[in-house]
Amino acid sequence: MSRLPTGQYIYGESPIHLIDARAKLLSFILLIAAVVLASSFAGYAAVFCFTAALLWISRLPLGTALGAIRRLWLFFFVIFLMNAFFFEAENPIFSWWIFRLSYGGIAQGANVVLRVALLMALSSVLTCTTTPMDMTSALQSLMKPLKIIRVPVEDVAMIISVAIQFIPTLLEETDMIKKAQTARGARFESRSLRHKAECVIPLVIPIFISAFRRADELSTAMEARGYRGAKNRTKRKKEPLKARDLAALFISAAICAVQFCFR
Amino acid sequence: MKMTYVKRSIITAVCIALCVVLPMAFHSVKNAGSIFAPMHIPVLLCGLICGAPFGLLCGIIGPLLSSLFTGMPPAAILPAMMVELAAYGLFTGLFMQIVRTKAVLADLYISLVAAMLCGRVLAGAAKALIFSAGKYSLTVWATSYFVTSLPGIIIQLALVPAIVFALQKARLIPLRYPEAICK
Repeated sequence: MSRLPTGQYIYGESPIHLIDARAKLLSFILLIAAVVLASSFAGYAAVFCFTAALLWISRLPLGTALGAIRRLWLFFFVIFLMNAFFFEAENPIFSWWIFRLSYGGIAQGANVVLRVALLMALSSVLTCTTTPMDMTSALQSLMKPLKIIRVPVEDVAMIISVAIQFIPTLLEETDMIKKAQTARGARFESRSLRHKAECVIPLVIPIFISAFRRADELSTAMEARGYRGAKNRTKRKKEPLKARDLAALFISAAICAVQFCFR
Repeated sequence: MKMTYVKRSIITAVCIALCVVLPMAFHSVKNAGSIFAPMHIPVLLCGLICGAPFGLLCGIIGPLLSSLFTGMPPAAILPAMMVELAAYGLFTGLFMQIVRTKAVLADLYISLVAAMLCGRVLAGAAKALIFSAGKYSLTVWATSYFVTSLPGIIIQLALVPAIVFALQKARLIPLRYPEAICK
């Protein structure tokens, strides 16, 4: 648990790493729409092939990029079985007691599992190939329209960036606290709900104290250095989108549009 | 002494990070994640300590980041969860601002219970009208938000005030009624 299961930036110089974070984020949104809109075999095949191509081009280690999917195989399996046996009561292939295996159920189970797995793989490609700072900057650019309704976009982007950078530190600290509590006799593996609740309390309170102490130190340091909100900060001028960024956007939009043809 | 805007922002960032970290810690304890709803705790705390706008932000960004980094909650239930947690963060902040009984514990419990109720009603309405329109019933709402999550509700009601007091004792957040100490 001491490291992030997925989504941590992995250094690389692949074409995907080089695409502007704004284009990557917009493409990601378009691809989510494509996955949600996919309803036929051809539609899924298009998104699946494109996701596989992205993974190949990004040269990410598959174990890391698809780690979350591998870890959740039991969840996927249960979801598939529940859909396969309970989704459709009519025209079963096989029926026993309350279980009714049907073609419709198998298709629905495969549909749900494939959709979630594709979304996880796509989010993995995005977060593994984009640095947290680039992601924050991209979020800030894309959230600019929210300024109309007086959302402090710069501050929101700063908060997201600090949150992302805190995750690995807090994970390590949580792991340490958990080990310390186990050494003191906390029984995390107990089946009883009461025991579980009892061991959760000494785990959570120290995590919060330690996290808030870090927040206190960081905010004091920021204020001492004259930080008074992200609004008045200066930053390097953003470069306009290049041909490869526009190409990424165009391809993602095409994959999304193709879904309408296959419906 | 009131907390500065910068400190509120950083505490919100930490609470968002905890929205990713806590479920991972709980999921390593068998079934604890689904029983105790760990992502609710940082959002409720953020609303109570930093106020409504920060709580709202934590409720929206927390589950979104967790879904991006860990795949949980799955994308299918993410929008409904974002609505629910955003409502918790918003309402705890609002109620904490409105309710002033001169007793911190009473303020905390009134704000928490009211926010949890409002959040559940709003999330139920969002599911019934938008996310599961036509497939959602009052029985499903009551079962999922009050029966299945009862251990979570109890643990949140026990833990959140305890964490607030622990943070006050460690002087990491200001006292709500400092004049009561001076007298």
